[in-house]
Amino acid sequence: MTEVLIFDTLRTPLGKGNGTGALFEVRPIDLLSKCLVALQERNQLATQEVEDLIIGCVIPTGGQADNIAKTALLHAGWSANTPGLQINRFQASGLTAIGLAAAKIKSNWASLIVAGGLESMSRIHRADNRGAISNAPDIMNKIGSIPTGVAADLIATLEGFTKEQLDEYALKSIKKANTAIKKGYFKKTVLPIYDQNKIPILEKDETINLDLSEEHLATSTPIFPKNNRLGFEAVAFRKYPLVEQILPMHSEENSAKSADNAAVMLIGSAAKGKALGLKARAKIIAAKALSTDLTITHKGGIEAAHAVLEIAKLKPKDIDLWYINESFAAPALLFQQTFKIADKKLNPCGGNIAFGEALGANGVILLGMLIDELERQKLKRGLISISAEGGIGTSMIIEIV
Amino acid sequence: MIKYKKDTDNIVTLTLDMGDRQLNLVNHQMYQYFKPVLTHLQKEKAKGLLKGIIFTSAKKNFLEGGELDYLQTSVDAKEIYEHSLTLNKFFRALEHPGVPVVAAINGSALGTGFEFALACHHRIVIDDSSIRLGHPEVTVGLMPGNGGITRLLWLLGLEKAYTILTNGKKYRPKEALKVGIIDEIAKDQKTMMEKAKKWLLENKEGRRPWDVEGESIPEGTAKEPKIAKVIQKLAAKLSKETYNNYPAPQFILNTLVEASKVNFDIATKIESRYFTELVLRPETRNMINTFWYDYNAIKKGINRPKGFGKFRAKQVGVIGAGRMGSGITFNCIKKGLKVVLKDVSKPIAELGKQYSKDQLTTLVEQGTISAEEKDQLYANIVTSAKPEDFENCDLIIEAVYENEMVKSKALKDSEQYIDEYAIFATNTLSIPITKLAESSFRPENYVGLHFFYPVEKVPLVEIVKGKQTSDETIARAFDFVRTLGKIPIIVKDDWGFFVARVQNTYILEGITLLQEGYPPALIENLGLQAGMPKGALAFADDLSLRMVLKFENQAAAHYGSQYEPHPAVSTLNKMVEGLDRSGKFKQAGFYDYTTENKKLWDGLKEHFPINQTDFDIESIKERMLFAQVIEAIWCLQEKVIASVPEANLGSIHGWGFPAFTGGIFQYVNNYGFDKFIERCEEFKNNYGPRFRVPKILKEMKKTGKTFV
Repeated sequence: MTEVLIFDTLRTPLGKGNGTGALFEVRPIDLLSKCLVALQERNQLATQEVEDLIIGCVIPTGGQADNIAKTALLHAGWSANTPGLQINRFQASGLTAIGLAAAKIKSNWASLIVAGGLESMSRIHRADNRGAISNAPDIMNKIGSIPTGVAADLIATLEGFTKEQLDEYALKSIKKANTAIKKGYFKKTVLPIYDQNKIPILEKDETINLDLSEEHLATSTPIFPKNNRLGFEAVAFRKYPLVEQILPMHSEENSAKSADNAAVMLIGSAAKGKALGLKARAKIIAAKALSTDLTITHKGGIEAAHAVLEIAKLKPKDIDLWYINESFAAPALLFQQTFKIADKKLNPCGGNIAFGEALGANGVILLGMLIDELERQKLKRGLISISAEGGIGTSMIIEIV
Repeated sequence: MIKYKKDTDNIVTLTLDMGDRQLNLVNHQMYQYFKPVLTHLQKEKAKGLLKGIIFTSAKKNFLEGGELDYLQTSVDAKEIYEHSLTLNKFFRALEHPGVPVVAAINGSALGTGFEFALACHHRIVIDDSSIRLGHPEVTVGLMPGNGGITRLLWLLGLEKAYTILTNGKKYRPKEALKVGIIDEIAKDQKTMMEKAKKWLLENKEGRRPWDVEGESIPEGTAKEPKIAKVIQKLAAKLSKETYNNYPAPQFILNTLVEASKVNFDIATKIESRYFTELVLRPETRNMINTFWYDYNAIKKGINRPKGFGKFRAKQVGVIGAGRMGSGITFNCIKKGLKVVLKDVSKPIAELGKQYSKDQLTTLVEQGTISAEEKDQLYANIVTSAKPEDFENCDLIIEAVYENEMVKSKALKDSEQYIDEYAIFATNTLSIPITKLAESSFRPENYVGLHFFYPVEKVPLVEIVKGKQTSDETIARAFDFVRTLGKIPIIVKDDWGFFVARVQNTYILEGITLLQEGYPPALIENLGLQAGMPKGALAFADDLSLRMVLKFENQAAAHYGSQYEPHPAVSTLNKMVEGLDRSGKFKQAGFYDYTTENKKLWDGLKEHFPINQTDFDIESIKERMLFAQVIEAIWCLQEKVIASVPEANLGSIHGWGFPAFTGGIFQYVNNYGFDKFIERCEEFKNNYGPRFRVPKILKEMKKTGKTFV
C-alpha cells in the first residue's frame, strides 16, 4: 500500500480564547484561509493538485458553519476543484482529519490532501451550541454524561493523585513551553497573523502564562468545588460505585484554557510529492480511533495508544517522543505513568495546560509540534494520542524521513 | 480653542472655537488639545462638582472632518491606523467622563465631526434648514473609521445604519430626527441650551448601551436569522449596484456585520482596520481626487472667464413645459429663484408646474422641507403662454423640441422681451449653438445650457460656447449653473459637445463588438461590470440609433477628408434602415420592448451570428473604456474641453463613466501612461485606427506629465 507522507505543517499563533485574546477580532474563516495562503506560498503549491481539504471543527456553527473548509478554499483563492470537508470528533477532530486524509492516500483514492483543524473559541461559544450529550436530560442521565472536569477529578480520585502531583505536572508543562518559546522552537510552524494592511495582530502564541509559579498553582481554586457538583457525582457513582466522593482537584491552572487557532498539514504520496517537488518531513505509520467509557471519558487516549502500538508492532520503548492532549492534568499524568514515559519525552515543548486548547485544531497543533521536535532532536519515531469527549481516543505513530 | 464655562448646577459648557479658521475641523491631533480638559473634568467629577457636559460651537459649523489632505497623500498604513485608534480613544474618552454629555449642535456636523456627535450621549440640533448632519464619506469613496459605524449600528441596527452610511446623504435637522441619528430639535440656540440642560438634569448616568451589560443591538446581531437574511439581501444588492467595483460600501457592510459579532472595543478596531485599508485603495484616491479636489477646482472657477462680476439671476424664463423644462423649473424654484414657465398654451404650461408640485410634496414627505416652505417655493412659478411675460427675466432657458426650426422660432419670439443684460440659453443636445445664434439679434448673449435628464438627479450642465458667445455670457452662465447647485463644464460648440460625443464612442464600440460576432448579452454584462451604468446596446436604444448615427455623421462632416469611418456605422444603417429598429422610442432596437421587461432582440442572432466563443473578459471591458478615454483625449487636444477636472466630473456625471476610476483622465493616470499607450497600440493593430494615440498624450508621456 502507498506510504503516507507529511510534507508541511503550519498554524496560526494560539490566541487566548473566550474573547480575551488578540485573535478575537479575526474571523474563523480568515484564520483558516491565512494558513492556506501561507501553505500555498511556501510550497509553491499548484492548488488544483490538492484533492481535498479536511478540517476538524468541534463547534461548526456561526462563523464556522456551512462546511467552512469549502469556503476557506475559495476565500484563499485556491482551485475551485477542491471539495472541502468539515468533520467533528470532539477534541480528536484535527487528528481524525489527518487520519482520514492518510487513509485516502494509503488506499490510492487520493494522492494529495490538506488536513487540519480550526476553532475560534472567542467567536463561537460552546455553551450557546450544546448538543444532546449535554443538553437532553434523559439522554445525559441514561448514558452517564458528566462535565469533563468532574470526570478528570474522578480519575484523580480513582488513581489517588494529590493536587500537588497535578500542579507539579502542570508546572512542568508550562516550563517546557517557556523554554521552547524562548528558544524559538515554534518559529518554523507558527504563522504570524497580520491584518489586511500588513499590520501585525498576533505574531506568536499569547496563551502561555510565563509567570505562573508553584504558589499560583497551590492557591488556585477548583473548577468544580465539592459543593458545586450538583448531581454529577451521583451520575458517576452509578458506574463507579466504589468511589465515596470525588475530590476537587482541577483548577484553571492545571487544566487547559480555551484558545483560538487554525492549523493545517499537507499530506500525500511519495509519487505526488516527487512530481510537485515537495520534500517529505515525516511518514504516518499507523493510526487508530476507538472509544472507552463516556463517563470517565479521558481514558480514550490511553487505550488508543495501546492499540496503535499493536498495529505498528511496536513497544512503548520504541517511541522517541510522545505528544498527548492535556485537557486536565490527571488523565495526562495517568497516561505518563501507564507508558512509563520520562518527562523530557512527553510533550517536550509543553502541552495544552501551557498553550490552551483550540478544540478542533488541537490534534494538528500537537502533531506539528511532535514533528518539529523530532526533527530538532534528530529523533525518529513519535506517538500522538488524544482523549476526547464521549470516551473517544485517537492515536497515531509517525516517523521522520 | 475650547471655551470652558461652568454654571451653578455644575454643568459645564464646552464651546468649540478652533483658531482663526472659519470652521471647526476635527483631526487626529484633537485628542492632544482635549486631554487637559478631559483630565480636569475627571477631577471635577471625582470631587462631585460635575453633573453634565454640553458641547456646542462658536463657529458657523459644529464640527466637520478635516483630514482629506492627509488621507489623500499618506502611504503609511500603520500611521493611518494609529491615527484612527487615537481618534477612537478620544471619542471613547468623551463618552466616559462618568457624567452625561450632550452635543448641542448649532451648525453642520459631518463626517468625523458627526462621529464626535455620536460619541455624545444625546444630540440636540437647532432646526435650521442650512444645517447638514451625517456621514457623506462614501461620496468620496471613504467610510467613517473612528467608531462612527459601530455607534450607528448600536443606535439604529444593521440595516438602517447601512442605509445611512451608504447613501452619503447630508441630512437636514428634521430629516435627521426622522431617521434617528439625532435625538431632539430645538427652534433656536436658547431653546437648545435649555433642552440640553434639562436632559442632563434628568439623565444622571451617562452610559452608552454598548457599555451596559444586557443591552443589545437593535434588531439583533448578524447571528439572528432575521438579520442573516438582511445581510444576504444587502450583499446581493451591493453586488448589483457596484459590480464589486466600489470598496467603500463593501467595507461598511463588512464592518457592520463583524461589529455585531464582537464587543464594542474590538468592533471599533475592526472598523479602523477596514478604514485604513480603504484609505489606501486606488478607488478611494481616485474618488477623493475627483469628487473633492476636482470639484472644488471647478467651484472656484478654474475655467470661468476672469474679470466679470458675479451674476445673480433672480427670475428665470423657461420655454417649454416638457420633461426638461419642468425639471429645470423645479431646480430653479428649489434654489429660491422665480420662474416664468411658458408653453404654447397656459394649460400645457400648468402641466409643467404640476411636476414641481409633485416633487415638492415628496420633499415634504421626506422631511426635507416644511409645508410652509413648499407653499413659498411653489408660489415662485408663474405660468404663461405669452412671451411678453419674460420681461423681467435675467435669463431665458429655451427647452423646446430638438429641432432647429422650432428652437429658432422660440428664440425669435422671446428674445425681444429681455434686455441686453439678460442671457438667452438653449437646452440642446445636438444642434450647433453657432447655427442657432444666427436667429439672434444678440448672439453674444446666446449660449447653450445642456441639462441632462432627469434634471433634479444629474448634477452636471454643459455650457456650450458658440462662436459669438461673449466671455461675459459664459461667466454669467457659469454663475447661474452654480446657483442651481450644479457642476458647470464649459465646452466648445463642436458636434455632440463633450458628453454626447464621448458617450457615443462607448455605444459604437459595443455595436462593433456585436458586429464582430460577440454575444450581445456578453457585451451588455461586461459594460456593466466595467462600471458603466448601462450596456452599450441599451444606451444606443435609449438615445435612439438615429441620434447615434447623427453624431457620427456630424463627425464625418467635421473632419471631412480626414474622417475615418467607424466600423459600427454599417450596422447602425442596417438596424435603422434595413430592419426598422431605431431604438426604444420605436419600441424596437437592439432590445425588444413588447414584453413587460425589455429583452435583447431575438433577431440579433440571425443578423449578427455569434462567432466569438473564446474571449478575454478584461480585454473587452478595457476596449469599451479605452474607446471613450481616447475620444476624451481628442476632445482635450481639440479644445472641446479645457480642463482635466471638468472632463473627469463631466464623464462621471454626464454619461456614467465609472466613478471608481476617478473619471476619464484619472483613468489614464491610474493605468499608467506607458501601459496605456502600449495597450492602445495593441488595440489599434487588432481593431482599427480609432485606437490611435492622440499626439497630446504622447507629448505628455515624453515630458512625464500626468492629467491634473
